Amino acid sequence: MSWLVVSALLFTIGAYGVLSRRTAILVFLSIELMLNAANLALIAFARQWGSLDAQVVTLFVIAIAAAEVAVGLGLIVAIFRRRETTGVDELRGLRG
Amino acid sequence: MQETVLLPLIILLPLLGFAVLGLWGRRLPEPVPGVVASALVLGSLLLGLVLLGQGGARWAVEDWIPGVPLSFVLDNLSGLMVMVVAGVGFLIHVYAIGYMHSDPGFSRFFSYFNLFIAAMLVLVLGDSLPVVFIGWEGVGLASYLLIGFWYTERVNADSARKAFIVNRIGDLGFLLGMGVLWAHFGTLSISELRELIAPEGEFAVGINVAAVSLAAFLLFIGAIGKSAQVPLMVWLPDAMAGPTPVSALIHAATMVTAGVYLLCRNSFLYFDLPDVSFWVVLIGMLTALYGALCAFGQTDIKRIVAYSTLSQLGYMFVAAGVGAYWVAMFHVLTHAFFKALLFMSSGAVIHALGGEQDVRKMGGMWNYLPQTRIHGLVGALALGGLPLLSGFWSKDAILAASYEYSALLWFVMLITAALTALYSMRWFVLVFMGKYRGHEHPHESPAVMTWPNHVLTLGSLFAGFVGLPYVVQSENLLEPWLNKAIVHHEHEKLPVLDEWALILVSAVVALGALYYGYRFFQAEAAGRLPAWFTRFQEASLRSFYADDVYNALLVRPLKSLAKILFDADGGLLGGFWWLGSATGNLGALLARLETGYLRFYAAGLLIAAVLLVLVGVIR
Repeated sequence: MSWLVVSALLFTIGAYGVLSRRTAILVFLSIELMLNAANLALIAFARQWGSLDAQVVTLFVIAIAAAEVAVGLGLIVAIFRRRETTGVDELRGLRG
Repeated sequence: MQETVLLPLIILLPLLGFAVLGLWGRRLPEPVPGVVASALVLGSLLLGLVLLGQGGARWAVEDWIPGVPLSFVLDNLSGLMVMVVAGVGFLIHVYAIGYMHSDPGFSRFFSYFNLFIAAMLVLVLGDSLPVVFIGWEGVGLASYLLIGFWYTERVNADSARKAFIVNRIGDLGFLLGMGVLWAHFGTLSISELRELIAPEGEFAVGINVAAVSLAAFLLFIGAIGKSAQVPLMVWLPDAMAGPTPVSALIHAATMVTAGVYLLCRNSFLYFDLPDVSFWVVLIGMLTALYGALCAFGQTDIKRIVAYSTLSQLGYMFVAAGVGAYWVAMFHVLTHAFFKALLFMSSGAVIHALGGEQDVRKMGGMWNYLPQTRIHGLVGALALGGLPLLSGFWSKDAILAASYEYSALLWFVMLITAALTALYSMRWFVLVFMGKYRGHEHPHESPAVMTWPNHVLTLGSLFAGFVGLPYVVQSENLLEPWLNKAIVHHEHEKLPVLDEWALILVSAVVALGALYYGYRFFQAEAAGRLPAWFTRFQEASLRSFYADDVYNALLVRPLKSLAKILFDADGGLLGGFWWLGSATGNLGALLARLETGYLRFYAAGLLIAAVLLVLVGVIR
């Protein structure tokens, strides 16, 4: 049960980070935090129910997260090269 | 009478000019379009004279439309009109080369002018009513284009539209008349109709007189529109908005006489219909009197002449109504000369004064314009009916013919003749006599403008001698020549004494009125007029409120109807517009959600996820 509490805490901290940070790097970091909170919750449930399925899913998530980090950081570098900033508030080009 | 393909060539020459000048005229340097146009009209005139000298001509495409041949005929009646249209038309073309000098629309003007001549020749030469109608509409179009020639001024464009719309009313009569004839006789060829209706110079046995009367009356309505007779006269004075050569050619010499020509060409319908002819006489008499009275108050030099045209057209209708068709055509001929001359001398004066048209700012031109003063004098005297001038002989013939019809009619026409002499002197005195009241530097027109006027002056002086009364010349030139082409009743000549008495009376009246007018209107030039006359002039200037009556009775109700319909339309459209804008507003509202801030979207996602979870837990 305490695992789930830690997971929820991690998720909340991550969500807060996504909403409050200005630079894309930190927003990205916070997303990783939320992702790992979800992983932790999955592991906790796997342990509780004695099922390996959730552990397999977690492994998948970690693998995909690694790829996602590569893509995400690549995007951020590309944006920085182009705009000289990574502040998410300044990236409003798609406003309706 | 020969079949020849040369006949349509008379029409095609000016039509060619219209096409060539209309397409490429702008590339030609200035005098060239005018010279080309004039030469083509001269070609038409010469060709027409040659064919007429060979005894006339006809040309037809049978079964153009079943029952309607595309046929043209050049007989003595249409021959006279070809001479007037192409002859006077040629002179006015030459004059216009000078008058339209350095106008930006120089070639456009001559292209329209040639279009007019072509359409008028179609009207004159056509031997089936639909062909005549094509010409009829063609001259209407050319008239519209030329009245509104200086179309950047709103008043000119309005006048052009007014002429076109008022003419539509008459044209409807023409169309309905054709419909009646078609329904009863199955043909619209004029010569065939003549064979069917009046083969031996009187109505054929068993003819439906009621139908013929109806058709004749409807065609007469068409003539009323084109010739600006009383109920439909309002367009002609406003038509003076066009350049002066246009007024001379279209609104004096040729187009407005088309109604008279139509009556004469179809005289086989009218000659034995006293009821319909009575209406022709009545309308003509009213127009003659009305036009004469209106001419007294006008201050625009061209509008004075325009109202005199109205009045003289009334004379022609009276002549046609009393059955003296050749007299009507005689007056068309002399009127073409002296009225074109009056307009073109007015044009020369306007030209000399740099565009000034107000007679109150003229006067004294006698000292400035040594040639135009002769033209103006001869024109005014011929219009006023000075004995031995052309206008005297033709007007006298009309007076004699109306005396045979009824003494009352003769008396009214005599009064009108006196009025004519008075206002023609008013025109002359205000323009040429006294002291110059303006501030321009008047200068005589160039030779290209004075020479056509010289020729017209000769015509105004001597054209009357082709139609002398029988007591002067037992058989004049015009009457037997024209009567070959016209169906009419032979009637007793007046006794010699009566005829002489009529000539004498009209000569005395004309002389007296001319002299009195000459004296009287010098007072107007000096601004000393009796009060009653000033009041009369105020009403006359507004043409006795004819336009106001039309505005109150027709134009304003129609305009308010149009406004109601427009508003209703707008209301309906507004409903749709409101619906559309409501959707648009909703969209705009939603679009404001798209802030572009990443954190805003992320928060939205989070809140939605939390809400979803909550909903799941609560359930």
